[in-house]
Amino acid sequence: MEEESTKKTGQNLGIAALITAIITFVFAVIPCVGLMAIIPGIIAIVLASVGLSHAARTDSPRGILIAGLIIGIVATMISFSQVFVAGKIAQKADKWPDVIEDVVLDVKKDVLEDLEDANISIKIENGDETVEISTSVNKKELVETLEELEGEEDSTDMDTLEQE
Amino acid sequence: MVRFVKKPYVIVNIVLAGVIVMIMIYSAIFSPDEDEYPVVCIHEKITGEPCVSCGLSHSFSLILRGRLNEAYSWNVYGMRVFLFFSLQLIMRVFFSFCYIKFIDTRKQLIMMDIIGSVLLFLISFRQFFIYIFQYC
Repeated sequence: MEEESTKKTGQNLGIAALITAIITFVFAVIPCVGLMAIIPGIIAIVLASVGLSHAARTDSPRGILIAGLIIGIVATMISFSQVFVAGKIAQKADKWPDVIEDVVLDVKKDVLEDLEDANISIKIENGDETVEISTSVNKKELVETLEELEGEEDSTDMDTLEQE
Repeated sequence: MVRFVKKPYVIVNIVLAGVIVMIMIYSAIFSPDEDEYPVVCIHEKITGEPCVSCGLSHSFSLILRGRLNEAYSWNVYGMRVFLFFSLQLIMRVFFSFCYIKFIDTRKQLIMMDIIGSVLLFLISFRQFFIYIFQYC
């Protein structure tokens, strides 16, 4: 009689553990309430463990208890992982100012690079008269012009020296 | 009938159906227009960033009131999760009935229930899983 009652207790614990574990699992996956699911998860594990010890003593079936224990452990792990998820997001939020600074620096660099190769055109209109000034600040062109000018200067110097 | 209600499978089904009904009652009691939901997003409190499940209570309340477009705007996945709970409620009643009615096919019935429920769960909560595991 007493053994039957212990068997029933084990089975009831198994049912309670399984139900708690299933509910915990569903809530653990929802990020809003996932962290709170740690508590029922631990309760499910405790219930299943107590039920298993009862079942070991009375040789009663353990299927529900093992299912409850496994689902409970997985649910608690998922729920606990939410702590890391929250931590990671918070860390990411802290890094945002640095990221924005990097973006501003990148944009500045791009603008300066673009300006190096820019073509500037100024057009002035006064009645019928129109004056247009076009210039290029292409870095390559400027370097070429500078080299040409230096070359001309060198040849002029050589001619002067030869004449002397 | 009482003999069958004492079976573990039927007890689990009854309790789970009760939990789902409680979720529905919770969604029906709290009005989405007054915004007085007792459950707040812990994630948002910690990080200051809304998570993928924010607005789910609002969405459930609006679905129950038939305002589907508004529900969709509160949470994109609200409809999917609500359908999961609704289908689960039907499944708990259906499988319990079948368990009592067809005694010879109980094992197959339980296996079908487990496989069906797991698949349904994975499909409905897919985005939540992705959200959690992208940071892990």
